[in-house]
Amino acid sequence: MPKESKQKKAQQGPSGVWGRVWAVAKDTLTFKAEKQREGFILLGVDDRPLSEKKKDGANQENTGGKSGQDEDKKNGNREGTRSTKKPIRVQRVSPSNSRKPQEDKKDFSTETLLVDPQLKINKKNLEEIYSLPKNKDIVIREFTIALKPPIKAFVVFMEGLADKNVINNTVLKPLMILSNMEEKVTILELAEYIKDHILPGNQVEVLAEYKQIVERVNFGMTAVFIDGSPKCLVVETKGWDKRPIGKTETEQVIRGPLEAFNETLRSNTALIRKLVRNEKLITEMFKVGERNKSDVAIMYLEDVASPVLVEEVKRRITSIKTDIVAESGSLEQFIEDHPFMPSPQILNTERPDRVASFLVEGKVAILVDGSPQVLVVPVTIFSLLHSAEDYYLRMPYGNFLRFLRVAAIFITIMTPSIYLAIETFHQEMIPTDLILVMAAARETVPFPTIMEVFMMEFAFELIREAGVRVPGVIGNTLGIVGALILGQAAVQAGIVSPILIIVVAVTGLASFAIPNYSMSFAFRGVRFIFTILAGIFGFFGVSAGLFILLTTIAGMKSFGVPLLAPIGPRTKAGPDLVIRGSVWSMEQRPDETDTLDRQRQPKISRGWVKPKKRGERK
Amino acid sequence: MKNVVKFGHSEAAAIAIVFVGVKAFLGYPRVVIELGSTAAWLVVLISGMVGIGAWLVISALLARFPGKSIMVITELVLGPFLGIGVNIIFFLYVMITNGILLRQFSEAIILTTLPEAPISSLTFLFIIPVWLAAYLGIEAISRSAYISLPFITAGVTAVLLALYPYWNPLMLLPLLGEGIFPTVKYGFLSSTVFGEIFILAVLAPFFAFTQKKLKNVGLFSLGFVMVFFILIVNVYLMVFPLPVATENLLPFYQLARTIYLGRYFQRVEAVFVLFWTFTAFLRLSLGIIVAAFILQDAFKLPYYRPLLPALCVLAFSLALTPADVMQNAFIEYKIRLIYGWLFSLALPCGIWAVALLRRKGEGHEGENT
Repeated sequence: MPKESKQKKAQQGPSGVWGRVWAVAKDTLTFKAEKQREGFILLGVDDRPLSEKKKDGANQENTGGKSGQDEDKKNGNREGTRSTKKPIRVQRVSPSNSRKPQEDKKDFSTETLLVDPQLKINKKNLEEIYSLPKNKDIVIREFTIALKPPIKAFVVFMEGLADKNVINNTVLKPLMILSNMEEKVTILELAEYIKDHILPGNQVEVLAEYKQIVERVNFGMTAVFIDGSPKCLVVETKGWDKRPIGKTETEQVIRGPLEAFNETLRSNTALIRKLVRNEKLITEMFKVGERNKSDVAIMYLEDVASPVLVEEVKRRITSIKTDIVAESGSLEQFIEDHPFMPSPQILNTERPDRVASFLVEGKVAILVDGSPQVLVVPVTIFSLLHSAEDYYLRMPYGNFLRFLRVAAIFITIMTPSIYLAIETFHQEMIPTDLILVMAAARETVPFPTIMEVFMMEFAFELIREAGVRVPGVIGNTLGIVGALILGQAAVQAGIVSPILIIVVAVTGLASFAIPNYSMSFAFRGVRFIFTILAGIFGFFGVSAGLFILLTTIAGMKSFGVPLLAPIGPRTKAGPDLVIRGSVWSMEQRPDETDTLDRQRQPKISRGWVKPKKRGERK
Repeated sequence: MKNVVKFGHSEAAAIAIVFVGVKAFLGYPRVVIELGSTAAWLVVLISGMVGIGAWLVISALLARFPGKSIMVITELVLGPFLGIGVNIIFFLYVMITNGILLRQFSEAIILTTLPEAPISSLTFLFIIPVWLAAYLGIEAISRSAYISLPFITAGVTAVLLALYPYWNPLMLLPLLGEGIFPTVKYGFLSSTVFGEIFILAVLAPFFAFTQKKLKNVGLFSLGFVMVFFILIVNVYLMVFPLPVATENLLPFYQLARTIYLGRYFQRVEAVFVLFWTFTAFLRLSLGIIVAAFILQDAFKLPYYRPLLPALCVLAFSLALTPADVMQNAFIEYKIRLIYGWLFSLALPCGIWAVALLRRKGEGHEGENT
């Protein structure tokens, strides 16, 4: 026997003398546990706070005399029986409400609200939650479910987020046309019945809490409220306009896959899962942000990633209490170890293949809905300076790129400062012919070298920033105008020396060669500090700058992993730091991530060379 | 010391090498030549041997109290009152050395690159990064030392090799210099230069390896520094004739200045400044943090970081106390170099002897710690 009919029978009780005894005893003997309130409350006893009772009274007055008996007549027996089951219609119980009854409407919260069997009340609740009819994004469509007898219902969905075709075909059509059959179940089981037999949607949930329902409707799902049922059906109908999977824009490669993440979380998880086809690849979801409740997913390989690391990532993400986390960049700032240091401690990438390779190394990927950048933790400074292409190219070419990049880093940080130091303090280092050329070039320049360097570096940064902000076509033109014409004009006007133009241009070029955007920013910023130090103290200042830079980076950590690992501290290093070994020689996963499975591949991974070597040894 | 910071043998060796070896960039090669003339390398060798012998004794003392710093051991062996007294002597010795070195480095900057800069500004620029590094902790400094050591070693080797055209091995003769007695005497007295291996005894609680390995780390560091000191002294002697060699205030700088391998590879001393100032920063931050650790353990303080600004100001004041560069050089080479070993080597060896006599130590009879 279903639970509800048992309850019904228990409430009606026996008749006659026993009936009277029962009537006296039932309120004292029978009780019902109710999770929404503390302790137990007696059946049929309205022990809600006074403010709520008043509010209910006011509601009834507003709706006039119709609310009571008229509704009973309209809805048949169900309503009549329900009137004795007051506790089923659980309303909000909030201490704040009892204190401030006059602010009820403003504080309307879905936290403890449950679906009411009365359709009218549900509609009223939704109107209050979504500020209808002011809010034009919410659509409530009333209709009748073609059952015998017909039942009134309505659907709620968010215009633009939900796919109208899906709603028509998988919600409205089945309920209004195709469900024409005898009702074989009680009204309390109706929602489950419709879910199991009538609605063809691929994801349908039966929910009772408004909090969950509203969350889903806000994310493009459709809620079906049925008259008489204390449950609501939520059908997956998400279908907003989204950007298709496009090409990589900031991490372009010549060799390697070209697809990039987009703004849809589920597309992004699928892109990663497409590359790591492993049942141990876990995706866990969290909600972050009090207002927008962004979906944040973490992905990791359960049998590789360190459980301590996974726990730490979860701990940091779930502890965030903020209004909105709109992008992975915001989340990065919430979870990073050293917010005031120049160097990033979390890698962000738009390439699914890079994320896949990090996951296989035992790292954890963090995806934020609405962000085409995926975060990877933990990272070392070396992985921040690698690019995807390093691995796809043959080992010598990959290494050539790596050396080029190391040179680029040093040029970015130090070229202006070294030029300034030599020019100002250490002229003896320059061969005589060269110093004569430099002196001749600087002869007409009226400014000290440090000012000259700062002017040009500032101008370069200005061109770069302006190039990013102005629309695409003009951006390129601006770059050419800025760099060529301005530089040329500055030299001709005798404001800067031509050698400085070369220095600034080379520095700028080198800064573009750093693959990680955040890292490039860090180095560009540090460059100015180095320039100031060199301007005041020459090479001594540069050395002080280098010392501070190295020591601060050596003291930094990314999710517990030292940023300079495996050389600072020295641990077991694989053949993939600055110089990259052959892919077949990378036998172990990085030591610093403390993976559950260290071995990436056997000692002899190229099976075809194995018999030959043995034969030779014999 | 209550801490969770631990580091491995590579970082420990790097710290010891930087701490002991930094003097190669200052006046030490000249002083050792003054002491031993053409047998200077022998003076270094004898000092090194004395240093190694003392280190063996110190490591035996550390082995009696595994995982404890020399400050804690001093107190356990000598009792609380005498222990604190000895720890304060250690602290003063380390701080005075810091002050002298800070002044020497600042003077060296004036001599090499910034002749018109006021000494206080240079000392100030030294002390600020030093404070920052000490604040970041021994972990960060040890990693920086480990990462930069290969570059420093390569730089030194490059300078020595680039002078190959100027090598004149005949200038190393006579082999025994002024005779065996003064050579051996000064060899013993100048063992102070290797006395700074003492740092390993101060940092003992931070090491994530066994006592036996600690002993080997000390031996390796001393051996490494000794080899480089001998190479530098010999190259210096081979490049500059003896009378000239005793004149240079900064011998290594002079060596770098002398390089001429064609028009485009000459006078690399400015690049070399990068290396040696970097080493100076490392050495001074280690000095400040070691002084802080000694105070922390001597007075059983929960934190050392609040001490750092005070110690930096103290080092700054000590550095500016000598009237001029010559007075500073006199304090360093005529006083500290000759008597420093009493504090850094003899005193720990004495503590070891007392521990032996009083049978102190874990697993030994007497008080179990």
